[in-house]
Amino acid sequence: MTTLDVKQDAPLARPAPHKMSWAWLGIMPFFLFAFLFLLYPSSTIVVRSFQNSTTHAFTLKNVIALFSNHYILGAYWISIEISLLTSVGGGIFGFLLAYAAIRGGLPKFMRSSLMTFCGVASNFAGVPLAFAFIALLSPTGMLIGWLKALGYNPYFHGFTLYTFWGLSIVYMYFQFPLMVLIIAPAIDGLRREWLEASENLGASSFQYWRYVALPILLPSIMGTMILLFGNSFGAFATAQALTGGQINLVTIVIGSQLRGDALGDPGLGYALALGMVVIMALAIMGYTILQRRTERWLR
Amino acid sequence: MRRGNKVWSWIVMMIGILYFFLPLVATFVFSLKAKLGVLSFKAYANIFNDPAFVYNFSYSVLWAVLTIVVGILLFVPTAFLIRLRVPKLRSAVEFITLLPFVIPAIVFVFGLVRTFSHPPLLIVNSPALLIAAYTVLSMPYMYRAIDTGLRAIDVRTLTEAGQSLGAGWGSILFDIILPNIRVAILSGAFLSFAIVIGEFILAQYLAKPAFAPYMAYMIQQKAYEPAAMAIISFALTWAAMGIISLVGRGGGQAQVGGGH
Amino acid sequence: MQTKKFVINLVALLVVAAFLLSACGAKTPDVAAGYTGTKITSVPQDLVTACKKEGMLTIIATPPDWANYGEIFSDFELTSGVKINSLDPNAGSADELAAIEANKGNTGPQAPDIVDVGYAYGATGIAAGDYQAYKVSNWDKIPDTVLGLPAKDPTGLWIGGYYGVMAIIVNTAVVKNVPANWSDLLKPEYKGQVALAGDPRTSNQAIQAVFAAALANGGTLDNAQPGLDWFNQLNKAGNFVPVIAKTGTIAQGATPIAFFWDYNAFGYRDAAAGNPPETVIYPSPTIASMYVQAISAYAPHLNCAKLWMEVLHSDEGQLAWMKGYAHGVQQADLEARGVIPADVKAKLPASSAFSSAVAPSPDQVAAAKTLITAGWMTTVGVDIPTPAP
Repeated sequence: MTTLDVKQDAPLARPAPHKMSWAWLGIMPFFLFAFLFLLYPSSTIVVRSFQNSTTHAFTLKNVIALFSNHYILGAYWISIEISLLTSVGGGIFGFLLAYAAIRGGLPKFMRSSLMTFCGVASNFAGVPLAFAFIALLSPTGMLIGWLKALGYNPYFHGFTLYTFWGLSIVYMYFQFPLMVLIIAPAIDGLRREWLEASENLGASSFQYWRYVALPILLPSIMGTMILLFGNSFGAFATAQALTGGQINLVTIVIGSQLRGDALGDPGLGYALALGMVVIMALAIMGYTILQRRTERWLR
Repeated sequence: MRRGNKVWSWIVMMIGILYFFLPLVATFVFSLKAKLGVLSFKAYANIFNDPAFVYNFSYSVLWAVLTIVVGILLFVPTAFLIRLRVPKLRSAVEFITLLPFVIPAIVFVFGLVRTFSHPPLLIVNSPALLIAAYTVLSMPYMYRAIDTGLRAIDVRTLTEAGQSLGAGWGSILFDIILPNIRVAILSGAFLSFAIVIGEFILAQYLAKPAFAPYMAYMIQQKAYEPAAMAIISFALTWAAMGIISLVGRGGGQAQVGGGH
Repeated sequence: MQTKKFVINLVALLVVAAFLLSACGAKTPDVAAGYTGTKITSVPQDLVTACKKEGMLTIIATPPDWANYGEIFSDFELTSGVKINSLDPNAGSADELAAIEANKGNTGPQAPDIVDVGYAYGATGIAAGDYQAYKVSNWDKIPDTVLGLPAKDPTGLWIGGYYGVMAIIVNTAVVKNVPANWSDLLKPEYKGQVALAGDPRTSNQAIQAVFAAALANGGTLDNAQPGLDWFNQLNKAGNFVPVIAKTGTIAQGATPIAFFWDYNAFGYRDAAAGNPPETVIYPSPTIASMYVQAISAYAPHLNCAKLWMEVLHSDEGQLAWMKGYAHGVQQADLEARGVIPADVKAKLPASSAFSSAVAPSPDQVAAAKTLITAGWMTTVGVDIPTPAP
């Protein structure tokens, strides 16, 4: 919009150090705030994970115990399972949806409608989302009612909303939109010339995808799936509101730690939280690295 | 190849539309069933007449407004100074503003409760802690919106023009800079509003009245009122996002990871 | 540009409205909201005056829709002019005693003045020194025994208020064939439908349901183990759903068949008002159990606590419980004096419906409680998590 982007400081009329210290003072509130309410509480978790809860001596016992405690391992396993399922499933369908809207030959308004809706849907998670699916898939839910009218009651065949599979279906509601929103720019970057060129050279649809489109998109798709993994791993409110804490996810266990010492050892609680942060950090790093690789192509 | 593509696209789109809309339709229909046999808005009437709902919802609105105010007061001067005077600290600040993405809310509140439950920092029961926590939660969106807004205007020239006309720093910030990034601030504000209104974890574990924990409680107690509350929640989010895209420059298509 | 200006002004208006809304709306809701009580004149007036000075009554684990307590809250507030501070409505009896002990010496609003606990917790509380004695003015109107068991502690440390009979509430929109008895519940058509009202490791209501199951499964009042075995069978058949049943979950169909005290079951049925349609059945055999009330030994508002006990044992208090389908201990006396309104009498279930109800003695309840709380995880092994609120 403006071409007045000044790329370097204009020569200073007054001595520089004076201004610098004033400015540093001005940003102090932010750093104090960030330290007190973000960095310090977070570091508490890290530090106390490595502390014996009674003697406060340095110990690796808590972290090691994570790997030998069946209850915790079970929780991590279930969290990883659901996160893998919803990130891969959500990633695949989200990609298909985004591609259909952007390059699938659909009316133009569908793309903007989809993007707008996804912007809202990704914020619809948590308690209201849990109830929306209760309204749809509980024993008295709308869809179950339709199926029952057709003579088939899923609940008699072992289906229930309040377990792993039900929760996965619900999680997709914020995984699909996140995938759509993030992968859209990557799909945009897939130049039409490449499709036309490959068609001209006689490549089939499959060959186009196998040799042109997917190799370019794959880092972005994988990266976003990793982000989706982290997103699902950290989810709490949806699971809590839907199942009341029935499913032992890592986040649910941390929640019950807050209400009382469910694990029998406070140090273990900290280690558990630390484990979560490590996994999330790895997810975000993985996403960032893969996203940068895609950007090379989409310049 | 093109034609096959289109059929496939329509199929995928239809599945997507079904998946996204059926739960909303089900919730809305459920919310109309409070009166036996007829569709009515009785559930909504019950909610608005329920003092507990008004109590909890009002507090959520209050928390949201306070969070936005704190966010503006804290982030505008910071972003301004970073951009203008201390560009060296830019990456440190950006790292900090992205940290809330790495730390899930449940872990964050875990840390907060453990840290602030002991003297001398015994503020775990104070609303101030909740506001501070919400400000942290909204930081990635609020700070980035403000930063984007500052990027779009020529901060340097405006500041120097103001200085040459004799304006003090306060005046520069509030009379010159702020009005020019009003739109960006609004975007950030409405995003924060949507986040705080729907936020469950912090309010629940810091034991403060709020909409989402109240809704979770009502799911246990009632059948139709929670559906109405879910619709209200969704409508609010739509409205907030709608205002953002109406007011904003369209470039801020924000993906939000909400309080999930 | 015009639209933007308009929206920005609208937003400013919204912000102002938000502040006003939160300022006006943010008053702590009254626990008696939605209930109409009466001002009771038969209570000692010196207690009313003294309670007014204390200014607060703190109760715990007493939801307003439990046996129509909401009306009693309203009675108390109208009689004394003092507001009730309600803690932790979903807590169980064990939690209540723990709260008394944890708040010894604390005169703030977290310290409960009054508890309403299951029959076994009368003795437990006395042993732990949690109660202080007070004999209400209607002491003599309270029978010595109800259901063959002492209805009041001789020194007044606890007083029985009402009793309930274990029943089953069924959401008939989800469950087409209402189960008639214990053996029906094991049938495959009730897969994933049967639930308890709480965690049997902490909730008295849930423990008593397991105890009742013992009677149906070859056990006696002295042997509750068959109850655990029955629930194990129920779970293995896939009929047990490990979700705590509440009015919402019953109505939504997540827990369409649930064990509740009859007063709760009838109350929830009435509250649903046919939407969804719910019905209450008494299994046979079943258990009856009294709930007793006591004043905390460390009650910060002693006069209000005493006034509360007076209200509970006044005619109005007992009638309120009866309107809530609970069986007040003074029912016989009220009937003899003819003060029960005809419409209240008509709503109550005929006593023949629960003629198979037996009431265990405090020792039997204590033994069953110990057995069930310890044995649940080993015999049945199903974790029933308590939802957050």
